[in-house]
Amino acid sequence: MLELFTYDFMQRSLFAAAMVGGLCSIIGVFVVLRGLSFVGAGTSHAAFAGVALGYLMGWPPLLLAILFGLATVWITGWVEEKGRMKLDVSIGILYTTTMALAILFIGLMKTYNAEVYGYLFGSVLSVTNEELRIVGGLSILVLGLLLTFSKELYFIAFDQEMAEASGIPARHIFFLLLTLVALTVVVSLKTVGAILVFAMILIPASTAYQLTHSLKTLTLYSAIIGVVTAVGGVLISAAWDVPSGPAIVLLATALFFCSVLLSPKGMRRPSPAHSH
Amino acid sequence: MPDSHEPIIRFDHASFGFPGVTALKDISLSIHAGEFIGVIGPNGSGKTTLCRAVLGLMAPVEGHLHIFDCACEELRCHHRAMIGYLPQKGVVDRNFPVTVLETVMMGRYGALGLFKRPGRKDREIAMEALAHVAMDGHKDTALGHLSGGQQQRVFIARALAQQPRVLLLDEPTTGLDITTQHNVLELIQHLHEELQLTVLLITHDINMIRSRVDRLVLLKTRLFAAGSPAEVLKPDILSQVYGKDLVITENDLVIVEDYHHHH
Repeated sequence: MLELFTYDFMQRSLFAAAMVGGLCSIIGVFVVLRGLSFVGAGTSHAAFAGVALGYLMGWPPLLLAILFGLATVWITGWVEEKGRMKLDVSIGILYTTTMALAILFIGLMKTYNAEVYGYLFGSVLSVTNEELRIVGGLSILVLGLLLTFSKELYFIAFDQEMAEASGIPARHIFFLLLTLVALTVVVSLKTVGAILVFAMILIPASTAYQLTHSLKTLTLYSAIIGVVTAVGGVLISAAWDVPSGPAIVLLATALFFCSVLLSPKGMRRPSPAHSH
Repeated sequence: MPDSHEPIIRFDHASFGFPGVTALKDISLSIHAGEFIGVIGPNGSGKTTLCRAVLGLMAPVEGHLHIFDCACEELRCHHRAMIGYLPQKGVVDRNFPVTVLETVMMGRYGALGLFKRPGRKDREIAMEALAHVAMDGHKDTALGHLSGGQQQRVFIARALAQQPRVLLLDEPTTGLDITTQHNVLELIQHLHEELQLTVLLITHDINMIRSRVDRLVLLKTRLFAAGSPAEVLKPDILSQVYGKDLVITENDLVIVEDYHHHH
């Protein structure tokens, strides 16, 4: 088992997994608390449509993933702000539309492209040095912005109107959060894949939610759980030759159910999904 | 009692609403520093719109609204921080994983501005605010573990942590038992007197606030009456707003007359 660590590809993938696990789980805190869980799911499918279009046209897939992801979250945020329809309805429409586009783009490709499917299901073990640099750069950017605006982000997650009333530029912060969600999804596409990235955002934060009543502790626990499950998942994947994405997510899910059983909060509290 | 003749909030023939819907029409009202004002009116009379306007969340479609000598649409973040706001109970998610002190510290965020981290001084201000509402012994308790009345005190402390000049309270006693209602109003009156805060209290409970306020503002889409409780709480004025069934008893209680009782 220890010899695994001596391989370059293994070091790269463990590093990528740790970064993505940490990043997803920290932004997940704000996503869960602000009630944006479904936005994460919609964005990841939109980003995947961008990847598919990139491969179809020969354009840079990650750049298109960012554009598709950002377009989705901004449209969603705009629709919510205007109060035209409920958030889950608009994201549901965009979710299915972008998935239809992805299937269309893949169908238009003349040959089978394994790399595209890598983005759908995740293939952390095949992360290249260049991808690692992109993931690293974007992670530092997203974490830096999260840290800089953490007090505002917590406040809008608690109550956006209250935050605005007390002098926080709440609308801008909300769009910043949506933008960071989109960037995080794109960063994580290669590692855990479009289908499972949503789980990496949602599960560590929901697990931590069971264990504490403090915002700061919640964020810390979520980050630890995110990094540990991502790294653990990669090791399981390498040791037993199972796909990495499902290994990470299933490990995180197992931890989540343990936390529900051990939660000091008991059954008194509603789940975070219902808290908004 | 008013300690200044300079109005800090001034509505000048201001109307508010959305295209096709007028929520408040032609409001002219000046609120002076140090006043305790009760805002009353039936459901849908525009009380919450008035509240949103004072918070700078809604600009007038006609007329003007000046807050701290600043047109409401130009209200900057640091102006907003000078208005401490207690939202209606139920609007805020009270099961959010947050401690009492973390909740009150949020009151410092707007006043601090972007890029600044709360420091020891902000913590002291937050603790002082908690002491004002007698909740300083609960600083590390989860907000969701407190009773309704205690949570209301914590939210008042958060508004105080902004070091506001105006305290704006949207139905602060709704959903509380009668003793707690009384205690919360006592606290608000105490803060008004001790901290010289201008208080705007929106409520349905006319009888509980009439002895505490300097002025009552009666809304029904437009400003129906404004003045001392004795001037506003007259049968002819109230019946126009609330309907004919409202009567004022010998001991000055406003109640709904029960027809079945008489017949």
